[in-house]
Amino acid sequence: MSSPLSAASAYANIARLTTDSNAAGGFANATRMTADPSAALARGMGIPEPSGTSFSSVLKEAITSVNELGQKSDAQTRNAVNGKANMVDVVTAVSETEVAIDAVVAVRDKVIAAYEEIMRMPI
Amino acid sequence: MASLDFMKTMAIAASGLRAQAGRMRVISENIANADSTPSRPGADPYRRKIPTFKAEFDRTIEARVVELGKSQPDSSDFKLKYQPGHPAADQNGNVKYPNVNSLLEMTDMREAQRSYEANINVISATRRMLQRTIDILKA
Repeated sequence: MSSPLSAASAYANIARLTTDSNAAGGFANATRMTADPSAALARGMGIPEPSGTSFSSVLKEAITSVNELGQKSDAQTRNAVNGKANMVDVVTAVSETEVAIDAVVAVRDKVIAAYEEIMRMPI
Repeated sequence: MASLDFMKTMAIAASGLRAQAGRMRVISENIANADSTPSRPGADPYRRKIPTFKAEFDRTIEARVVELGKSQPDSSDFKLKYQPGHPAADQNGNVKYPNVNSLLEMTDMREAQRSYEANINVISATRRMLQRTIDILKA
């Protein structure tokens, strides 16, 4: 497990990503970029604009929930170190966070791979 | 999260772990106090405790989890040992010893250990299933 300090800075980074709506760089921008070309392409081909939530908001939501889980497991670990929490609670909280992070990272990798695939497309 | 059922499984198995840990606490109390004699003649020595479990409905995960109930006293008779010099000996020279049978406690402990491991296996299997599902995305 990483040290609490590095974990704390990671959470700060995630929090900045999710709260800062006009974040330069990072996921928000990347997702906007993926959204824009396909939307333009769709308009050009006369395809109606897709309705529903955008990918960036889905990602933001996912990262926020993962962030919350991480903070929860961190708090449990701190409590356990101070002798106030059960080891079982720590293990379940940490493994829950691990799975959630793994899932979000897998989705992110998949979407970025799709974006790269589109960028490589010869026009 | 979409994997809610798996999370519930983990929470239920974790309740089993907690319950078995509590059971171990009671067993260790019994073993540690196997020789706790009364401090004065006529008083009772340590009485063996029996851990109890009960199924409890957990509203947050909407499932029945296991919880450690109040441990009940074992009503069986105390062991009498003839020890005339003992400070807690009665007129006949008998000392009351706790109704703890260490062989029984050992089997109980082994059972708690096996139950704990069974719940851990449930957690590991659930984790593996989740991980394998996520692996599909990575391929």
